[in-house]
Amino acid sequence: MDSRGLPWRRLPLRTRVIGAFTLGAAIAALVLVVITYGLSRQSMLQQREESSERQFFANARQVQSSLRAEDPDFTQLLESLPSLSGSRSIIRTGDETWTSLSLTPSDLPPVLISTVLEFPQAQTMRYRLDDQPVLTFGLQMRPSAASALEGVAYFEVVPLAEVESTLESLALILLVGGVLTVLVGVGIGLWASGGLLRPLTDISDAATSIAHGRFDTRLEEVSDPDLDALVRSFNEMAAAMETRITRDARFSSDVSHELRSPLMTLRASIDVMQHRREELPERTRQALDLLNDEVIRFENLVQDLLDLSRSDSGPMQNDLVNIEELVRATLASSEATTSFEVSPNAQGALVMGDKRRLAQVLDNLLRNAEKYGGGPTRITVSSAGKNIEIAVEDSGPGVAPSERELIFERFTRGAAARKRGAGDGAGLGLALVDEHARRHGGAARVEGKPDGDSGARFVVTLPKAGRR
Amino acid sequence: MSIQILTIEDDERIRTAVRFALEDEGWNVLEAETGEQALEEFDSMSPDVVLVDIGLPGVDGFEVCRSLRRVSDVPIIMVTARDDTHDVVAGLEAGADDYVTKPIAPKELSARIRALLRRVKSEDTGLAPRTVGDLEIVPEEGVVRKSGTEIHLTKTEFHLLCELSDQLGKVLSREHLLEEVWGYDYFGDGRLVDVHVRRLRTKVETDPAHPRHVVTVRGMGYKLQP
Repeated sequence: MDSRGLPWRRLPLRTRVIGAFTLGAAIAALVLVVITYGLSRQSMLQQREESSERQFFANARQVQSSLRAEDPDFTQLLESLPSLSGSRSIIRTGDETWTSLSLTPSDLPPVLISTVLEFPQAQTMRYRLDDQPVLTFGLQMRPSAASALEGVAYFEVVPLAEVESTLESLALILLVGGVLTVLVGVGIGLWASGGLLRPLTDISDAATSIAHGRFDTRLEEVSDPDLDALVRSFNEMAAAMETRITRDARFSSDVSHELRSPLMTLRASIDVMQHRREELPERTRQALDLLNDEVIRFENLVQDLLDLSRSDSGPMQNDLVNIEELVRATLASSEATTSFEVSPNAQGALVMGDKRRLAQVLDNLLRNAEKYGGGPTRITVSSAGKNIEIAVEDSGPGVAPSERELIFERFTRGAAARKRGAGDGAGLGLALVDEHARRHGGAARVEGKPDGDSGARFVVTLPKAGRR
Repeated sequence: MSIQILTIEDDERIRTAVRFALEDEGWNVLEAETGEQALEEFDSMSPDVVLVDIGLPGVDGFEVCRSLRRVSDVPIIMVTARDDTHDVVAGLEAGADDYVTKPIAPKELSARIRALLRRVKSEDTGLAPRTVGDLEIVPEEGVVRKSGTEIHLTKTEFHLLCELSDQLGKVLSREHLLEEVWGYDYFGDGRLVDVHVRRLRTKVETDPAHPRHVVTVRGMGYKLQP
C-alpha cells in the first residue's frame, strides 16, 4: 500500500508528532471530564435525594399523626415542619390546599397528584418550577376513620438549583482543566518532536554544510544508542568522503604540476622557434605550426581537466559580479562578433560568484557556438524570477532533443561535434559550463531558438544576488 | 643598461627554454637552479625582477620570497603549476608581487614583467607629496613616513598606496586597482589586491586588525581615508 497517499502521511513529521500528542491529550481530557462530571453529578443528586427523602418521610409521619386530631390545624403544622435547604411543603385534601411559603396549589403537576392519590407508595418527580429544577415527593395520607377528610396527600418540593449551580461550576472547572490538558499535550508534543527531530535537523545541517564544501563537518557524539549508530555511520561516511575528495584533489594537483611543467618548456621552445620562423625551411615551418596548434589544444585540455576536477571540490571566489560587465568583458577578450542585449529588468543585475569561472562559462559557450553553430549570433541577458538567464544563440544545425542532456556530460560530444572528427575537442567545454553553473547554484540547458529558426540556444541560469 | 631578470627554476629544460624565450623578448636573463644559490648570489646579481618557481627542492619558492623580502623590495613574480587558492595566497603573503601559472606564454610573462617595472605614475608626473592622517607620501622620492618615521614598502605596495591616495576617500574597486597597479584587464585575480592590501595594512596601520586608513568597503572595494 502506498502510505504516501494518505493525507496524514503527507503532513510533516513534526506536525504529525504534535498532532498525535494533542489528540491523545484531548481524548484523555474528554474521558476524564465526562467520567468526573457524570460521577459527581450522580453522587450529588443521589445524596440530595436521599437526605430529602429522609426529611420527607419524617415530615409525612408528622402530618399523618396530625390527622388523628379532629380538626387539624394544617397551617400551623406546615410552619412547624423542619425544612431542609429550602424545601417547601403542601398538604392537600379533596377540596383544600395548604401550602408553606410562596407555593401555590398549581405548582404541583396534576399528573403527580393523581398518581399519588392512586397509589399508596411514595412518588417522586423531577421537573422545572419557575424555571428552577425541583424534586417533588408526594405521599397519600390515611385520615382517621372519624375524619371527614378525603384524598389527603402530603407533598414536599425540594429545590435542586443549588446542586445544579454546583454542577455548573464543576463543569466549568473541568472544561478549563480539559483545555489546559490539551495545551499541555501540545506543549509536550512540541518539546518531544523537537527532541525527536533535532538529530534529523543536525544531520540535515551537516549534510548541507558538506554539500557546500566544508568537508570536515562532523556530527557531535550522542549518548542515545539509537542515535549513536546513525551519528557514527554519518561521520564515517563524511570521513570517507573527505579522504577521497582530498586524495582526488591532491591527485589533480600533482597531475597539474606534472603536465604543466613540461608544457611550459614546450610553449617557450615553440615561441623561440616562432621567433625565428623566417630562418626555417617551409616544411619545418608547417611542422612547427602543427606542433603549436597541438600544444595549444593540449594546454586547453589540461586547463579544462584541472578546472573540472577543481570544480568538484575546491572553494570558489565569492564576489559580487555584474553580469552585464562580465559579458562585455568576455566578449571584448574573445574574437566573437555577436549582438548583445540586456533586457531592462536585468540591467545592473548581480550574481554572487567567481568572475573568472563565470567568464569561462560564457567563453566556452562562445567557443562552442563558434565550432559547431557557425558562430554566436545573439547573446541575451534577462531576468527570470529569482534568476538571471544568459543565453547564447547560434544559427547552426541546433541540438536534437535526444542529445540535449547528453552533451553536458564529460567527454561526450553531440552529433555536430562528431561529424567534425576526433581532433577537435575532448567534450569538456559544455561539461565545464554545467559544472560551473551548478557550483554557482544555477543550471545550464540547451533548447531550440524561440523564433523556430534553425540553431541552438544555450541558456545558463544563475541565482541573483541582492543589490547593493 | 638592459633589465636583468633572475629566474629561479630547478628544471633545467624549463629554465633554458624560458631563458631563450625571454632573451628573444629583449631581457637579460640570469639563472639560479636552487633557492639557496639564488639567495647566495642575489647581491652580486642584483636583478631588476625575480621569477621564482614555487616547487623548488630544498628552500622552496615561498621561503625564497620571504628571504628576499627581508633584504630587498625587488619585484617578484611567482611561477606556479598549482593555482589553487592556498598556493597563490601563500606566495603573495610571502612577498610575491604577482603570480603566473605554468604554462605561460613568454609574451604574457614579458607583459607581466613590464607591468611590474612600470614606474609609479606619480614619479613621472611629478605629483605633489601628500599627507593622509599620520601618513606622509612623497611620490617623487618613493618614500612613505608614518608619524615622521620612514616605513619600507615594496614597489607594488607603494604603487597601491599612491593609487588609493590619488582618489582619497573614494572607493576603488578591485578591478580598478588591478588595472592601475598591476596592469590587468577585467579578469585579473582579486586575490592580488586583497593580499597586498593586507600587507600594506601591516605597515601603515597602527592596528592592522582594525584598519583606519585602508578601509574595506564590502562588496565594492577599498578606500583610503585620513
